[in-house]
Parts: sequence; C-alpha cells; structure tokens
Amino acid sequence: MVENYAVLPCNGLDKCAGVISGELAIKLCQDAKNEIICPVFYRIADAKYNKIASEHPLLVIDGCQTKCASKLAAEKNLKISRKVTITEEAKKHNIELNRNLRLNENENALIEIILNGLNNDTEKVTLLSDESKFSSDFEYEIFQNGKFIFRVPRNPEVYFNENDCWAYVIGNRARIGVTDFVQQNLSDILYFTPPEIGSEIDQFGEVGEIESSKSVFELISPVSGKVISINETLEQKPELINENPYELGWIAEIELTDFDSDKELLIGFDKYFEIMKKKTEDSNV
Amino acid sequence: MYKKVKVVPCSGIGKVFGLMAREAVLKTVLELCPEKSETVCLAYIVTGDIEVKEKIEGSNCITVDGCPKMCAAKNVSIAGGLVIEKLRVIDTVKEHKGKKFGSPTQLDADGEVVISEIAAKIAKKINELN
Amino acid sequence: MSELKVGIISCSGEECLGGTISRLATRKVLEELKLVATVTLCLPLYLAGGVEERDFAKVFPTISVDGCDKLCAKRSTEKYSGKINGFIDVSKIIGNETALNTKVIRNKDLTDEHLQMVDQVASEIVKTISNISPDSYSGKTFGGCGCGS
Repeated sequence: MVENYAVLPCNGLDKCAGVISGELAIKLCQDAKNEIICPVFYRIADAKYNKIASEHPLLVIDGCQTKCASKLAAEKNLKISRKVTITEEAKKHNIELNRNLRLNENENALIEIILNGLNNDTEKVTLLSDESKFSSDFEYEIFQNGKFIFRVPRNPEVYFNENDCWAYVIGNRARIGVTDFVQQNLSDILYFTPPEIGSEIDQFGEVGEIESSKSVFELISPVSGKVISINETLEQKPELINENPYELGWIAEIELTDFDSDKELLIGFDKYFEIMKKKTEDSNV
Repeated sequence: MYKKVKVVPCSGIGKVFGLMAREAVLKTVLELCPEKSETVCLAYIVTGDIEVKEKIEGSNCITVDGCPKMCAAKNVSIAGGLVIEKLRVIDTVKEHKGKKFGSPTQLDADGEVVISEIAAKIAKKINELN
Repeated sequence: MSELKVGIISCSGEECLGGTISRLATRKVLEELKLVATVTLCLPLYLAGGVEERDFAKVFPTISVDGCDKLCAKRSTEKYSGKINGFIDVSKIIGNETALNTKVIRNKDLTDEHLQMVDQVASEIVKTISNISPDSYSGKTFGGCGCGS
C-alpha cells in the first residue's frame, strides 16, 4: 500500500458500520504514514484538512449507502482516489454486523479483511497517485460574444478536436473535457454519464455524456487509450463543468496508447480559437 | 405576533429555471401558505432602503434559486436574513430527466408539475416552523 | 471591433404587478419582436457580482425596465456599470396604483388586460432602444489573455 493516503471516514454513530469506518481509519493511520481527516472538524474549519487533502491521494471510507464521507469530499471539491463502503464489504464477505455500536469479533474480522485488501492493492494505488501531474496552471485567451465569455487555454500541452473537446497531455496520460463553447451552448448541465473506468477508447470514440435541459452532448474523445480515472465530483456537481470546464470540470483521464498518431488529427490553440470564434458568431449563443 | 417567513426567489429572466423559482414561490405565498409566508423582491433587498433591510434582517427566510449561481441565497444572507432553507430548482428538475419545462416566459405542463413539487417543499418547511 | 448590441436589464419583482409586466414585456421584446441585437441581463446575477453581466453593461448600451418607482434595475446598473442609456418605469405607463397596489399574480392568471399592458410596455422598450445614439457605444472590445483563477 502507498503509505501516504489522506483518510476520510464517515465516522457515523447511527450504525455499527459508521463506527467500523472510524476504527478502520484509526488503524490505517497508526500502522502507516497516512493522515486522518476528522469529518466533523472538516465541516467547521477546513484549512488544515484542505492542505492534507491536496498533498495526498484521498481514501474515503463510507459506513453505508448514505455515503456521507463521499458527499463531504464532493462538497469540498476533493478528488477521491479510493473508496471503501463498509456495508458493501460486509456483504461481500458474508459478515453480519452488530445492530448496536459495539465492535465484536465479526466487526474486527471485517476490519482486518479490509486492511489486508488495501495493503495488497498496490497496482491500483500506483496508477491513481500519478494524477497530481495535472496542474491547473492554465493561461487563457478570452473571446466575448455578447455577454458570454469563452476561454481557450493557450498551453502547448492542450490539444483540441473539432468536436469541441480538449486533451491536456502530460507524458503518457491525458486529461480530457469539453470547451467553453459546449458548456455555454448547453447552459446549466444537470447530468453526467461518465465513461467506464478500465474501458478502451478509440480516438473520436464516445467517452461519456453530459446533459442539460436543452440537449445531450456526447463527448468525442480527442485521444485513444484506457480510461483510468473519472472526475467523480461531477456525479454530484455536474455544474462544475459550467463553472470551469478546463479545471474543476475535467471529465476523465486516459492512459494513452498511440498519441503520436492521435496528434496528427488534433489541432492546437491557434486554430481552435479561430474555429470556436466563428462557431460562436454563427450559432448566436 | 407571528412574523411571516420570507420566501425569496431569484426570478432570473434568462432561463426557464428563474421563472420556475418565481412561480414556485408565488404558488406558496398566494395559494399554499398565504397566512404564514410572504415574498420580497430580491433586487429591492439588495438596493433598498432601511424599511426593507429591517424587514429582512433577522427574519426566517427561504430562498429559491434557479441555477447553481445561488444569487438569492447569497444576497439574502448578505442582507442579514436567516436563511433556513436554500432550495435550487435544478435539484427538483434533475428528478424529471428527459422532460422539457417551457421557456423563461411561459411554463408548460411539466414545468407546472415541477413548481408544484418545489412549492410543496417550501410549504413543508414553513409548516415545520409552527 | 464587436458588433453593436443593446442590453436590457429588467426587474421581475414579485411584490407587485409591475414586476410581472416588466419581466414579460422584456421577454416579448427579446422573443417576439426579435430585435436581433438585444440581450437580456439577469438582474439577480448582476447584483450577486456576475462579471459577464456587469462587463456587458459597461461596454454596450444598456437600458433598464423597472416595475415600480423604486427603480432597482436602473440604480443597480448605474452603481455597477456606469451611466444607463435609457430607462422605463412601468408604473408611469400603466399607472402607479395598478403597478403597485394590485396583488401580484401568477403567469397562468394573466388576463387580456394584463397582456395589453405587456404590449404597451414592450412598445415603449422598443422606442427607447431605437432612440439610443450610436455614439453610446464605448468602442471598447473584449479579448486578450486572461489567467485561470
């Protein structure tokens, strides 16, 4: 196990599963160099834990399907690297949990099973921990049509297709999303259907869907590869795509398989900016 | 003396959600809870004089915003209103996937269904206070 | 240089009939009378700090439409974006008593009389827009670099 998680348990006192989440988090942080986030304190004063969360991949431990810890992470705009739901784990391992809040043999056995599972799961953790290479240091060129502002990142690592999707390429990975042209045309985005993690995507293949009350937009992938991560925050807050489609509103991360070929069919900032300007003027957003 | 709950919509003019916020609030204060609630113009709360500031400050307020920009919730809080509930039209709209609701000028039948649901949520909150 | 556009910022006040008439008249100008160059600015967003709305009103000629003599839309535009190019006070068109003292109504309860008021105000909006001098256009354009925030 990568020994540097920020661990956010739900720590709920409504059910035994919540107590287990807290106990599991404590064990994770005693036995390894992980950092615990107190969900109660985090709601009141977030400065300390925002720093911890920005420095470590986040492991969220929910007690049950109410998913309070996941919701808290979404509220704080945190990227979740790993999720554990105690009731799901109990069901998976045929363990019946107490109806009271005491941790007995069954509950402690479950904690050990989950701990062993996390310790053995190094490959997934390694893949996810590389996300931090995608910085949010974009430099934008701005175009205004009427009252609507359209930004296009000038960074050379950002490529576009003519379907108004972008790819931010660092090494053998790309983060993808839609441009301001899409989110302004759609207006308030209400639904986000992500691609499946692990799925193989062709260049110009479909990689998810976003929907507003006006219409549905199918994302056309600028690159080919395997989907290794999705922006889970968008499932609760798809409006982040409207707020900033290049930073908070990114859609998925792809492990690239043939970027040298893909690149030949992509366009850079200069060309995309002119295309977008013309489309905007013609479509009268 | 019972102080009516202030229910404040954003009434944004550019989107159907703004009209839905407005209509849901009017349904509440005119039809569902006329004795227990009243509405106040958001623009007047922001730009108005002592009279409206005194009306809002320290009062229980429910805000209804059309979109995630949350203009009503923000402005009522700044004006000193006690926002006991912040409703967003889009949260109810999300439960009606695939439907169209009308235009920023006129709601259609599905739009009326949604505003009735929102008005019911507002009324429930108002009644809980008594 | 950007094409000439005119902004309309309207109140939608829920406390009186004037607000309803103001909103509907503005929508009528935008949708039916189809003055191609008009853009509505969202007053609540404007008041909450909406950059796009405020910047538009600084550059393009903008008129306000208010339901009553409190003139919230006019005063807000002047406060955040500078001089306004025209304003309409609906209570001066339909009468103060009608605008202020009539109970607010829902869209579904509008009568033919109300719709006539909407037409009257919409005509006044069109007249005000056509009276805007081309010199009102400040000549500023948008564009250039912006840093991500």
